[in-house]
Amino acid sequence: MEKSNNSSEVNLIFKYAFKDLSRNYKKIISIIITLFISLFILSAIFTIEDSLKKELNDNAKALLGGDLEIDYNRNEGNLKLVTKVKEFATISQMIEFSTMVATINRDKNKSLFTRIKTVDEKYPLYGTVEYEPEGAFDRMQNEPNTVLINESLSKTLNLKINEQIKVQDKLFTVIGIVKSVPDVSGFVAFGDWALAGKQTLEILKLNGIGSFLNYEYKVKFNENDDEQEIEERIENIFKDDQKVKLRYPENSASGLKRIINNFSQFLSLVSISAMLIAGIGVANTLLSFINQNNMSIAVRKAVGFYSGDIKILYYLQLLILLFVVTTLAYGSSFLIVPFVDQYLSDGLGLNVLPVFSIINFIKIFLIGLLVLIIFSIPTINSIDQVKASNLFRNVFQNLEFYYSKKSVILSFLLLSILVLVFSYNSENPIYSIGYFAAFFVCLGVFFLLSKLIIFFLKKFRSTPNISLKVSIKNITQTKSITPITIMSLGLGVTLLLTLALVGTNFKREIAKSIPNIAPDYFFVGIQKGEKEKFETNIFEMDPNAKVEIVPMVSSGIVKINGINPNTYISSDNDSYWVIGSDRRSSWVNEVPEDNPITEGKWWDLTKSNELQISLDAKVAQDLKINLGDIFTLNIYGREIDGKIVNFRSVDYRDLSINFAMLFNPQFANNIPHEYLATTKFKNIENFDEISMLEVLPSLSMIKIADYLNKVTSVLNKVFMAVTLISAVTIIIGLIVISSAIMVQGKVKEYQNLVFKIIGFTKRDVILSSIIEFLIIFNSVILIATFFAVIASKFIMENLFELVWKFDFKVLLTLGFSIGLVTLLLIMLTNLKYLNPKVYPLIRNQ
Amino acid sequence: MSILLKLKKVNLKYQTGKDTIKVLNNIDLITKKKETISIVGESGSGKTSLIMLIGGLEQATSGKIFFQDHEITKLNEDEVSAIRKKNIGIIFQSFYLIPNYTAVENVALTLELNKFKNPEKEAKLLLDRFGLKHRFNNLPSQLSGGEQQRVAIARSIAMKPELILADEPTGNLDTENSLMISDILFNYVKEEGSSLIMVTHDPKLANKAKRKIKIKDGKIK
Repeated sequence: MEKSNNSSEVNLIFKYAFKDLSRNYKKIISIIITLFISLFILSAIFTIEDSLKKELNDNAKALLGGDLEIDYNRNEGNLKLVTKVKEFATISQMIEFSTMVATINRDKNKSLFTRIKTVDEKYPLYGTVEYEPEGAFDRMQNEPNTVLINESLSKTLNLKINEQIKVQDKLFTVIGIVKSVPDVSGFVAFGDWALAGKQTLEILKLNGIGSFLNYEYKVKFNENDDEQEIEERIENIFKDDQKVKLRYPENSASGLKRIINNFSQFLSLVSISAMLIAGIGVANTLLSFINQNNMSIAVRKAVGFYSGDIKILYYLQLLILLFVVTTLAYGSSFLIVPFVDQYLSDGLGLNVLPVFSIINFIKIFLIGLLVLIIFSIPTINSIDQVKASNLFRNVFQNLEFYYSKKSVILSFLLLSILVLVFSYNSENPIYSIGYFAAFFVCLGVFFLLSKLIIFFLKKFRSTPNISLKVSIKNITQTKSITPITIMSLGLGVTLLLTLALVGTNFKREIAKSIPNIAPDYFFVGIQKGEKEKFETNIFEMDPNAKVEIVPMVSSGIVKINGINPNTYISSDNDSYWVIGSDRRSSWVNEVPEDNPITEGKWWDLTKSNELQISLDAKVAQDLKINLGDIFTLNIYGREIDGKIVNFRSVDYRDLSINFAMLFNPQFANNIPHEYLATTKFKNIENFDEISMLEVLPSLSMIKIADYLNKVTSVLNKVFMAVTLISAVTIIIGLIVISSAIMVQGKVKEYQNLVFKIIGFTKRDVILSSIIEFLIIFNSVILIATFFAVIASKFIMENLFELVWKFDFKVLLTLGFSIGLVTLLLIMLTNLKYLNPKVYPLIRNQ
Repeated sequence: MSILLKLKKVNLKYQTGKDTIKVLNNIDLITKKKETISIVGESGSGKTSLIMLIGGLEQATSGKIFFQDHEITKLNEDEVSAIRKKNIGIIFQSFYLIPNYTAVENVALTLELNKFKNPEKEAKLLLDRFGLKHRFNNLPSQLSGGEQQRVAIARSIAMKPELILADEPTGNLDTENSLMISDILFNYVKEEGSSLIMVTHDPKLANKAKRKIKIKDGKIK
């Protein structure tokens, strides 16, 4: 055949490509499955992320609650400035606070620490509030002492419409149930909350810092106004007010967006892992497939096909397959969106709809194509090794991956494009590029490991054990596929271990019991004159209760060493919260037991008229604060300079009383303050929240177990998603491991046939296979564990911002289980090769 | 001469879909030690099937096969393997060498399996005897057809088996190589006193054997 450079020859190649594909699709079913699963994960992640982001962007104003938000945090703010804005825009005031809500007139009343949002009649400026029954929202605005509660609160306290509840010492009537509010951004996404009219705050007369008050003004511009101009005008009005924060629609749901971004970054890395590992699987399976077709390739060459034509034939089949599989995978990914929608609409009121994007489809197809081509190049190039002369020599020739200089350069180019395509637009391109680098470092290390194993085993060839000898020979022989087996197995095992370690760390975080030193309750809002009353009541109910009461004051850091604190830290730093808004601080005489000093000295008693500050060491490190630096604090409108005298190691996870800043009591006792208390009961069943509220109506009680349950329920949902995607990726990993065995299939079958003929027993053959696996696996598992530990630590700490812990026992169990499962899988895949039927093979059947 | 092999009413049938194909039909055969037998017959007459049954590579549908004192039709696969590795050498038309083992390694494998002290040394002696000294470390793909068959013969006789089974040993070779291979085989059985059962289409080769058996439609004629 002449070189294919005219249309009839192209047609011929197309014809053969379709013919071969339609006849061979059963033989390449593992390629189809691997491709489908990996492309499905990729499509699902792209589709969900796009749908979510579209929902968030489309509703950015509704999520923010206006065209702009004026946030005064814990203060009512400068009303004069707010009034100025009212002259040219609509303003809706919103105040959130937390307090105890209790049932009444029941045999056993219950109470709950609840977030309440008071809104005026202009609320919501954008979007709608979904509630029932009809008219309840207007009633709430017009009738005092009425509230709408959310479904979660209704379930937790078993509240019905028209039932009365007690909020502090006032009675309120539940007049409706809220299903969703548009502005979830500044509000509680999960948990228990209620809506109330603007008059509520006056009824309750809240002012203590224990109420966690938050003042916000939502602004809506007039329809024909130029948005940018109005924004600039408002910025101008507030330019000298340091306490205010202006937020725009693009900042809406920032917490939610951050969670989505972090999670989609993790999922994207998992999906690209799945794609790359699938690529290895495809390369292995394809090589095995080409080996099976060795004879037909030789015949094609014998009748005049060029090697290049045959290669095009295979590339074309892959391209057709990829297009069909990508279409199926992308289409199927839309089926997942309703599940995500159901989950999100329950908690956040977001309605996620599938968004078809031709760009996403092309991107997925392109990523698939690049991975496929990169990994197919050395496989399809092996076709060059097939000689038509083999047909005459009756030689079984096992093909191997073939690299030429040209193909290495091409692979490298395509790989660079893949990295760019994937990293471009990813939430954190540095992570993505770093991930690719790590992936190929792993690949390189496993390749070197294979060479090392071969080198050492070649020195141990004299052994009387025939099974051991055969396995060593198999590993070290010329043209051995040990490197590809070790690379496939190594990456597969690394992925399995990493995901398993992430999973077990997640599980541990979820199952984490309350720390021993943690109290049962936090009490906030104890006023100065109520301290004794509080203690008396606690001890009346449980004389053995352990109570800790500390003073508490709210203060904001106005300056650090005389300059704006924002110059010390960027807003995405973990410790930004310390300067972001007013913080609660306390004072104690002695160093807290669980807050050891890391640097500096405790209070200098000779300077009792000066404010001394003890700072959280991690915060100090992030803010780059040194001992002797000066914080200017705003306490009740007065600016006071305080000197940093020591750093403490604070672990907020122990759930005891922890403050980023502690003051010297000699100075701070004179500041007006209230108290924060914790209690660990000996007999918690004797403690009655309702009786406590009767004595101290403004007291807020936070039960640690309830709080942990809420965290656990959110973590559980994330864990489920991680487990699901990990399980799918693990399936790909296992397919890849078995595909590495399939590459050897034909050789193994032939070899075992000869072994059988010359008198090997089944036991000898199986034993040699097990020994071969054990040699490879034991070397791989050590390196894989090393990589998995680093990767899982990075994922837990950086992407999920959770605690990662090294657990040798878990690692050992996981390593053993993965080894066992892989061995079983290999034995199962090898079964038909281990004891081949002689007759059909000899008869060439 | 004592009896080496005895086949009693041996049948071999295959099921292909609904059809049953009778490959061998009531075969009775007795061979003595040091005997050389050639089996001839048309393609599909059952020649290869017969030597596979004798070699324990296939199970008879019915009947009994005795090798020395063992009734191999009663033994399991591993027990048959144990007999084969010491007492039966098999040579195929398609050589069946391990492609990624060198000539020496292919031969040494049988010796190692039988726990020989210096398998490679023995293998080299055998290959040298068959004129393959210059091919010790070559892979099968680097050998000619005649050379590959000589390696295969060396491997099958490495344990000095009582019985050599050969299925068209010269079928893939030219005249010159065929002659060489037949000489090697017959000289060996003569020198070492082994028995040989050989399937062949080549009348000249068949005539070299002391006894000639013709098979037609699965029956010995």
